[in-house]
This record gives sequence, C-alpha cells and structure tokens, in this order.
Amino acid sequence: MTENRTRALLHWVLGGWVLLVIAAAFFYAPSAAGFKGESARIVFFHVPQAWVAVLAFCVNLVASIRYMRKRNPLDDARAAAAARLGLVFSVLATVTGSIFANVMWNSFWNWDPREVSIVILLLIYAAYFALREAIPDEERRASLSAAYAVLAFVTMPFLVFVVPRIYWSLHPDTIIGAKGNLKLQMDSRMLQTLLGSLVGFTGLFVWLYTLDVRLARVLLARRGREEE
Amino acid sequence: MRTSNLLSEIAAVLAKEFTSELRSRVALNAIGLFGLTTLIAVAYQIGPYQIQEADRPHLLSALLWIILFFAATSGLSRVFVKEEDAHTAKTLRLAARPLAVLGGKYLFNLVLLVALFALIVPLYCALMGYGVRGVAGLLLVLLSGALALSATATIVAAIIARASGSTTLFAILSVPLVLPLLVMLIQGTRAAAASSELAAVLPALQGIVSLGGAVIVVSVYLFPAVWHD
Repeated sequence: MTENRTRALLHWVLGGWVLLVIAAAFFYAPSAAGFKGESARIVFFHVPQAWVAVLAFCVNLVASIRYMRKRNPLDDARAAAAARLGLVFSVLATVTGSIFANVMWNSFWNWDPREVSIVILLLIYAAYFALREAIPDEERRASLSAAYAVLAFVTMPFLVFVVPRIYWSLHPDTIIGAKGNLKLQMDSRMLQTLLGSLVGFTGLFVWLYTLDVRLARVLLARRGREEE
Repeated sequence: MRTSNLLSEIAAVLAKEFTSELRSRVALNAIGLFGLTTLIAVAYQIGPYQIQEADRPHLLSALLWIILFFAATSGLSRVFVKEEDAHTAKTLRLAARPLAVLGGKYLFNLVLLVALFALIVPLYCALMGYGVRGVAGLLLVLLSGALALSATATIVAAIIARASGSTTLFAILSVPLVLPLLVMLIQGTRAAAASSELAAVLPALQGIVSLGGAVIVVSVYLFPAVWHD
C-alpha cells in the first residue's frame, strides 16, 4: 500500500516536473542569438530525446549481458523494453532534429554525421526487433537478440566519436573537448532549462521502462502458473 | 599444447569449409557473379566519363565499396546458414570447440572477401578509369577492410543462421553494424587514391583496425553462447 502511494506521488512529481520544463522552455529560457526566430527552443526537447535514446541503448546492453550470464527471462524483457523505448525516442530525436534543420538550413536532412549516427541507432533498434520477430523459440530469441545487442553496442562509439571527427558536422562540438576542457557556453537560464529537461526525460524513460517491465513480470508469472 | 590443438582444429574447420565450398561453389559463384554484374551495370551506365572531375574522388570510392559490400553480403552468411540447412551443425558442435569453429569460418570468409577484392578492384579501376596514386595505401585499406568486414559478417551469420528468413535478416542486421566501417573504408580509399603517402590513409586505417579488432574480441566472447544456444 505504501509502495503504491509512493509510486503515485512520484508520478505526480514527474508530471509536474515535465509541465514545468515545457513552461520553462517557452517562457523562462531567453531566445538564443544566431538562430532563426524561436527555433533554438527545440533543443530543450531534441537533446534530451537523443540522450534517452542512447541511455536506452545502454540499459539494453546491461540487460542483455545479464541475460547471457543468468538466463533470466525477465532480463530479456528488460532488454526488449529498453529497446522499444529507445526506438521511440530515436524516432522523436530524428523528427525534432529534422524540423530544426528545415527551419535553420531549409532542408529536412543534411547527412550530418550526427544525423546519420541517430539514424543508424534507429536502424539497429529496428534490426533488433526484426531478429526477435524471426525467432519463434523464446529462449533462442532471447539469447540471440542479446548477442546482437552486445555486438551492436561495439559499433556505437565509432559512430558517436570517430565518424563525426572524420567528417565536418553541422552540430556543435561535444560538451567536453578533446583536452578534457568544458566547452559548454550557454546562458544560465537556458542551461537550467536544458538540465531540467534532461532530468524530466530521464524520469519519463524510467517510468515507461518500469511500467513495461512490470507488465512483463506479470505475464511471466501468469505463464508460470499456467505451466504448473 | 592447447594453442596448437586449437590451431589444428581451426585449420580442420577451414579445410572442411574449402572442401564443401569447392563441391558446390555456391558462395563463390554468388559473390563473384554478384560483384561482376553490379560492376558491369555501374561501368556501363556511368563509366569513366559520366562523372564530373570534381566529384570523381567522392563518387568512385563510394561506388567501389557499394559494389564490394553488396557482393559480399550475397555469400558471406552461407558459412553458418548451410550448416543449419544441411543439419550438420550438431555434428560440428561435437567435433570442434566453438573458438575453432569461429576461427575457421572467419578465415574462410576472409579468403572469400580477399578473392572478391582481387577480382573486382583491378577491374573497377580499369573500367571506371580510377587512378590510384597510393597503391600501398589502398592495399592496406582493402586488407584491413576485409579483416573487419569478415569479422562482422561471420558473427552476424552465426546469429541469423537459426532464425527464419535468415538470408534477408543477414542484410537487415549487418547493414547498421557495417555502416561506420563503410564510411571509414570509403574515406580511406579516397585518401589512398589522392595521395601516395601512407600517412594519408592512417586516420581511416586506425578506425577500421580498431573497429575490426573490437568486433573480433566481442565475437570471441559472444560466439560460444550463440553457437551452443
């Protein structure tokens, strides 16, 4: 009972926080110089969406490794839940990035290395689900998709860190420079809003992920009872 | 003693692959003919004179790797798919340890890729009028590309072999994994074509070798779970 109350309270806090972030993105943060109109405000949503897509990829990796070590079906459900959310957030990051690109550079797609990297992340998630769909046996599906998830994770550092350094990018450089110096230069109110949004989107991911895993746990328990 | 045993097991798996491939020649024919057909189509439609001089370095290196990669995907998955189709996978599981199976099949795919490159690259240079200043640099890029591509193709082939519609799945699963590698290979080929200095291809080579190495290391850890699943 107490757990349910805490959970309900956390939902209200998360809802309030997200509403606050939306309000701050439009009314608290000032307009950014050097951008067309109010287009820069999309950063408060685009960056956290891309962050959650990558976070989901990491959660998927951890759950996949755990499955390969312990063969617990719940870990497979965790990996699949993270991948599902990762797919949704990478689509959102791609769409918001394209809208911003069209406003700024009159083109929805510019083949920027970071644009390409989020699309490849999206393709990896899609391939992960294509693999899962193609294997009817549950245990085999879990172990082979876990292996693919681990393998896919190996290519990500090359996409995120190596390829953007070979090709010129429209995106700003990473927050931490090559010499370890902090390169983020942003108005403090914009920074507060961006950090708040990162926290809000991370909370949203945790909530949706927990919901999906709880559902999987119930389904697994029901199937266990049916098999008995 | 253990290492020599492993090496002899790898050699035995490799010899088995060659024997069975020379019997049917399915992968050899698929890769070679796919590569030749695509090359002829590209050379016939574009040829050496259809591309503007300024665009040649970018387009010719990209076209070369598109031909090589898609020709490779038509045959590299067979190393594991044929074991499932012929119901010989269980026997192979009993006969050799996982690392030997992975090593033998990886080396077989590597030989197939090197043969494909040896057939297509000189023909491509001749038919498309692709002048390469740094031949040594290009050879290094091709060799490192073959090492990295066959590593990715072998482990993906092992993953998809036991899924339904495995040939289609191979392309779906390998393309996102291979894309960063292809980007670096295209960049390295372009650099080799433009300069005779080996230093020109070094940045791309570093990326290709480290990605290939990372995939090989991960494959060694993943393969026993995939193979004995």
